[in-house]
Amino acid sequence: MRLQLAFAAALVAGAAAPARADGTLEARGVYYKERATRVVQPMLDAMFDAGLHGVATGHFLVDAITSASASSGAAGDKPFTEQRYEGGLGYAHQLGDLTIGADAKYSTESDYRSFYAGLRGQLELGQKNTVLGLGGGVSIDRVSAAAAQGLGTTPTLRCDADHAAESSCPLHVYALYGSISQIISPNAVVGVSADLGVLHGFQSNPYRQAIVGDGLVIERHPTARNREAFAASARYYIASTATTVIGAYRYYRDSWHIHAHTPEVRVVQELGHDIDATLRYRYYTQDGAYFFHARYPADDAAMTQYVSDDVKLSTFTGHTIEGKLGVLGDAVSLPGMWAAARFEGILEYSIQNNRFGNAVIAHLALTLPFAY
Amino acid sequence: MVTGQVRYLSTLAAVIVFGVVASSGCVVVRAHQRGHLAKRAMTDDSDVGEARFTAHERGSREGAEGGTGEPGGGCGCN
Repeated sequence: MRLQLAFAAALVAGAAAPARADGTLEARGVYYKERATRVVQPMLDAMFDAGLHGVATGHFLVDAITSASASSGAAGDKPFTEQRYEGGLGYAHQLGDLTIGADAKYSTESDYRSFYAGLRGQLELGQKNTVLGLGGGVSIDRVSAAAAQGLGTTPTLRCDADHAAESSCPLHVYALYGSISQIISPNAVVGVSADLGVLHGFQSNPYRQAIVGDGLVIERHPTARNREAFAASARYYIASTATTVIGAYRYYRDSWHIHAHTPEVRVVQELGHDIDATLRYRYYTQDGAYFFHARYPADDAAMTQYVSDDVKLSTFTGHTIEGKLGVLGDAVSLPGMWAAARFEGILEYSIQNNRFGNAVIAHLALTLPFAY
Repeated sequence: MVTGQVRYLSTLAAVIVFGVVASSGCVVVRAHQRGHLAKRAMTDDSDVGEARFTAHERGSREGAEGGTGEPGGGCGCN
């Protein structure tokens, strides 16, 4: 009883104490459906003030993937379900106009493990009219065929052409990115960014097979890939209608000779103080990897050095249309801290003229700010 | 590969230098003029969870993965 009273007193004292720091909690659930795959992903994100100049972040998510796709390891189009778990932590510290930070995350599923660590910095210049960003990171991944269905044992993988088959293969990814954003008027901000990714290791799908001659051969992709992406964006606020117009464009190229163009436009309309609605349209087009073919001749060693049945490496175009509605708790007269809570719903439809086909994605999210 | 990295870093450096030089000639918008710029849609209209899922989903359906800032994350869907 004394312990309960002490606990209650501590709670009251805590509630009466002035708020010293802020944070937000975000809970989100996503449903994804395409022709052969369905994903349900619940996730939690948290952000806390840590001292006067620090911000700590963390997240945890679960991917529940149900797939009948052979590229996921399914046998005979029989669907199966597996889970992927991911957790991450980050910290950023402000030193005047400079903010430096570090992030790490770990992801695990039956046939794929990934550990990522990165550093980033941000510098504000010209009374914060200009913001420079620079960051980089390393991802150390390991791939196996452990999700193969209908087999008594886990198939082995050829990590590269020079080594015998092993139970799993490494993949290392090195990333560097930089960005600049610039305020150009009280209503407009523009930005540019550049990303570099260097990949070394196993980059094939452990289950997928390509058509070679009259037979099937397990996929073989090159073990090195350099990726580059350049992006530009502009945001403009139309005060008379409380509308924000966002335009963005990204150009991508890599050493597998894929080039992609991605223009996008978003319109965000405020509906009073507490509601906003967004419409997004995104166009995507890419050409295929130099080694991708629908079929490979059995008698051409040069053409069959690398073989692939990866639809992502083919030539295709896509369109994405999205609607989003955000509502603050105040709009429906929620009391206390719930008045500042944000409820969000997103519905997205993605069209692709390839074997993946179209996809539907839906989000429901709640973001709750709090003081402690 | 080295040539590609040098070319990339040169381009990145040129973009940063151009941006800084160009921005120095822009009008400085002072703090009290930034009411519109502080709006959610003008800062970042995607929450971190939405952005993370979107990057992951696009990486599993499109060849141009990346360009969002960081690599990795599993999925087994190379």
